[in-house]
Amino acid sequence: MARSAKTALVLCLDVGFSMSNSATGQEPPFQQAKKVIQKFVQRQVFAENKDELGLVLFGSDNTKNNLAKDDQYQNISVHRHLMIPNFELLEEIQNDVQPGSQQADWLDALVVCMDLLQNETLGKKYERLNIVMLTDLNTPSSPDQLDIIIGNLKRAGITLQFFLPFPVDGGGSNPPHGGKALSREQQQGLEMTKKVMMSLDEEDVTGVCNPDLSVFKRVEKRPMAWPCTLTIGSSLSIKIVGYKAVCEERPRKSWSVVDAQTHQKDDIKRDVVYCLNDDEETEVQKDDTIQGYRYGSDIVPFSKVDQDQMKYKTDGKSFAVLGFTKQSMINRHQFVGTQVLKVFAPKDDEHAGVALSGLIRALDDLKMVAVVRYVYARNGNPQVGAAFPCIKEKYECLVYVQLPFMEDLRQYSFPSLENNKKYTPSEDQLSAVDSLIDSMMLVEEDGEKKDLFKVNHIPNPQYQRLFQCLHHRAVNPSVPLPPMDPWLTTALQRPLAVATRCQAPLETLKKKFPLKEVVKKKELKTSKELFGNSLGTGISTSLAVWERVGLHSSLGTGSSASLAVWERVGLHSSLGTGRSTF
Amino acid sequence: MAEWNAYYQNEDEYVDRDEFEVDYKCAGRDSLVFLVDASKEMFIRGEDGEPSPFDMTMQCVHSVYTSKIISSDKDLVALVFYGTEQSKNPRNTFEHVYVYHDLDSPGARRVKDVDGLRGENGAQVADETMGSGKTNLVEALWCCSNLYSDVKLRLSYKRLMIFTCRDTPHRGDCERDRQARTKAGDLKETVVPLWHLPGGFDVSLFFCDVVSPPEDESELGLQMEPCGKLEDLRKRVRAKEMKKRSMARLNLCLGEGMNVAVGVYITVRQTKKPNAVKLYRDNNEPVHTKTRLYHTQTGSLLLPSDTKRAQVYAGRQIVMEKDEVDVIKKFSDPGLELIGFKPMERLKLHHHLRSALFIYPEEETVTGSACVFTALLRRCSERNVFALCKYTQIRNSSPRFLALVPQREELDEGQAQIEAPGFHGIFLPYADDIRNLDAPQLPTASDAQVDKMKEIVHKLSFKYRSDAFENPVLQQHYRYLEALALDPMAPEHIEEHIEDHTVPKVKMIDQCLGSLAQEFKDLVFTLASGKLGKEQYTEEAGGAEKKPKVEMSEDELRARVQKGTLQFGVKVTGTKKRELIDTLKAQLAK
Repeated sequence: MARSAKTALVLCLDVGFSMSNSATGQEPPFQQAKKVIQKFVQRQVFAENKDELGLVLFGSDNTKNNLAKDDQYQNISVHRHLMIPNFELLEEIQNDVQPGSQQADWLDALVVCMDLLQNETLGKKYERLNIVMLTDLNTPSSPDQLDIIIGNLKRAGITLQFFLPFPVDGGGSNPPHGGKALSREQQQGLEMTKKVMMSLDEEDVTGVCNPDLSVFKRVEKRPMAWPCTLTIGSSLSIKIVGYKAVCEERPRKSWSVVDAQTHQKDDIKRDVVYCLNDDEETEVQKDDTIQGYRYGSDIVPFSKVDQDQMKYKTDGKSFAVLGFTKQSMINRHQFVGTQVLKVFAPKDDEHAGVALSGLIRALDDLKMVAVVRYVYARNGNPQVGAAFPCIKEKYECLVYVQLPFMEDLRQYSFPSLENNKKYTPSEDQLSAVDSLIDSMMLVEEDGEKKDLFKVNHIPNPQYQRLFQCLHHRAVNPSVPLPPMDPWLTTALQRPLAVATRCQAPLETLKKKFPLKEVVKKKELKTSKELFGNSLGTGISTSLAVWERVGLHSSLGTGSSASLAVWERVGLHSSLGTGRSTF
Repeated sequence: MAEWNAYYQNEDEYVDRDEFEVDYKCAGRDSLVFLVDASKEMFIRGEDGEPSPFDMTMQCVHSVYTSKIISSDKDLVALVFYGTEQSKNPRNTFEHVYVYHDLDSPGARRVKDVDGLRGENGAQVADETMGSGKTNLVEALWCCSNLYSDVKLRLSYKRLMIFTCRDTPHRGDCERDRQARTKAGDLKETVVPLWHLPGGFDVSLFFCDVVSPPEDESELGLQMEPCGKLEDLRKRVRAKEMKKRSMARLNLCLGEGMNVAVGVYITVRQTKKPNAVKLYRDNNEPVHTKTRLYHTQTGSLLLPSDTKRAQVYAGRQIVMEKDEVDVIKKFSDPGLELIGFKPMERLKLHHHLRSALFIYPEEETVTGSACVFTALLRRCSERNVFALCKYTQIRNSSPRFLALVPQREELDEGQAQIEAPGFHGIFLPYADDIRNLDAPQLPTASDAQVDKMKEIVHKLSFKYRSDAFENPVLQQHYRYLEALALDPMAPEHIEEHIEDHTVPKVKMIDQCLGSLAQEFKDLVFTLASGKLGKEQYTEEAGGAEKKPKVEMSEDELRARVQKGTLQFGVKVTGTKKRELIDTLKAQLAK
């Protein structure tokens, strides 16, 4: 398995005095920038990858950098050299990074960052070098060196991102969203950033806010290739490579048990004892036990030897076509297994590519699927599954899903609903349901068919919450756990637009369908009892939005392809809800 | 590898449990009595060499026995014959009733017994042991009710299935008919459905009064149609023998103050080979395990409250209470919360994570639920939309999103239900669950190649049925167990009996395809390289095992730990590598 290359990234934060200014009721740019950085560093810490991170402050009261000489590069401080980020860095950002009373040229700071990157990555291999600049551009800047700087950035292969506290579109001349108009310095700075971005040959200069920064990105697992051969009978075989495409992602780490006092894992020993099922629960030695299996009321002793001998044996990995059937014969709700595979031809095998393409297109035209026997490896259990054709603009593949065995099905029958007079809804009731459906459609029919609620763009809330709590506990060991991040709560709810729209139809529905509870269920403990009052009180501070002039549209690391999902999270929620900037 | 596995199995208390495990223990046991007519008529073979009704019944009983052993081996099953010459029942108080198996969980012996009653030989065995004699359903039903009351275990679900081919068992003896009806009436609490066999069977003559009314009026009509085919019979027996059990009863919240009560069911779920049980060597009796926590230094037993939970990230140990760990997972109370609706085409085929759930209304919990549910089901189906819901299964489980796909009822010609009415709950993946793949850029097939492949596809097309494939692993496992249970010295060539349908019938496929395969290959290989098909895939080319390479002085190691750049060039067992490094770091930090 190829090892993913690491990234070196320098966060360049403006702590100058203008960053502390803000309109009344607004959070100062400095605080917002700090939050962005905190979230990002958190994410990196929990991702536990090898990416290294540096932090440069400018506009700081002190000066600490290699280039500082005489009155050059003053008030720029390298707060942290390139290192794998850790909790200490998080604590420093929380406690030590404070707004300064000076100001510094952001171009000078950029040069310091470049210098840092070049010196500290010398002789090591990095996949990407990146500088992220967080500033309000409110310091006068001398553009004379701009071209040289651009040239150096290009030569060193350093990518650059800006996070600005105002939107970029419209040239900054119009006051955005009721905020104050940009100062002359800011306008000039903006022109310069645009020039930098343009000449670095990056994508459009767009203002995209990124609530995805609060998302703890999980480490990308490099997809494991499963090379095999698709066979149809003995004479037709096509080389293929399968990849897991969808699979429930589990946390990488599990909780270990530690002693409550010492917090030491080694202080605890787990002991398993075997007891007879008599009244005394007589303990017996493990060596005096043997293995057995139940066969209904019988228990059959089964030695390891028996077991090996009687185990179902396969001839190794397999992707063998048993036959073809209509897609309509495969019931979606009968899919089993915990993963979906995508099956391609090997990268360099054009013949296999053409052959597989032939199969995929034939199946697609005929609306059929291949029913295949799938065996992962020699010691794996055989599966029967369906390989669906999948034709996308950019690629073709088979999508493999496991199908049930006879033993997996429970053919329950349920009382008829529609043929039961008691339950038959009236026309009136049906139209009430219709209006509810109309008001709650998440995909707008007209125009570009925007989807208001894409589950596959939501990060698994369980892990977001887990990392939020882990981070909190790591830097505040004795403080109770924090309430849920408001953005997370919101992300899991009915979109506001839909919630508003469906009010009236819901009221009608309530009137048309009287519901009456029959048995009082035992009250479950509410979250309040368990969690204290803090949970769910809807803390209303939302992460303020930083506009970004982006090349790579995420502050993340790694290849841009692997970040695709996260980018979309950011993009959609920002466009969808039109969060205001200041 | 094995050691690591063993280690983590011990950790199970702290690993997420299988959320779908339904606790049947407290629910009591299911019981099922097969009451089978053993009169002469039952042994008459059908036209075209169809098996006799008796033979068919035994095949059904056999398949129920074996499937019970595989899927619910705690359930109790009995086999009783009526209309026999001989009598055999607990107190021998009933005539012409032969209790072949009393209520107990089936084992190898019983499976073999029933096997012995199949086919021509079986008919002979039946004739010799029981014979055919007078029919008295009153006694038979009474006997069955005694079987239930003799069982000391708590029974949760009692069913009696009658198999017969005679619609007038007492040949018009009105008195007996009347008594049988009364007795059946007495049994009504315990007896549920009835099955009867082939052609020209007039339910109205007698049996309609014996059959207990189903749990629901609505179910009436479905099972009153007699069925004649073995396959149909089997299917119906299968559908009826197991109690539908909801794994959860929840509210489907359509909006504030609008809660519809629903039950959540599992209609498909992977049946796995059961875990081995530990037995005491001296008597082959099962033993149970107890897990204890000790303090390493003091040796004293620890209570759960003496422990906390910890994880290590970036070299820092983060400690939480057990309660905190649990409560972190909590987002909302258990239930289904409607988010909105989407057109069906928005449900992507490849968005699959786990087996689907089945959702059906619980009228008994909230009156009116079935009506809203039905209306919703009908309109969703007619408008071809699905409902998107947030699903919280139990108190401290984090939410998942389900696509509720409408499923309207479907019946076959015999009025038997093929598809039950309700919503299928399809689990949708979160962003984390979707992997990004780099698809290779390869040429696509020409029309000629596609057309040739279409011919191949046509040649090999068949009608897929989801219950057509048995799991060869399970079947083999149980076949061995059955043989071993009957004879510990069992011969080892049982394998031959197992027909593994998952293995392609290569010869047949080759024959079917004839020259098509070669023609397709020729079209793909216009260049005469002939690689395809000839060159077999060889296991992992150059598969020399990567040797672990951990040669590093302690100082260097220490330096790396401090700098935070520790990494191994070795693939250690799976994802737990991280924890190894943590351990190492912890060690060096001391």
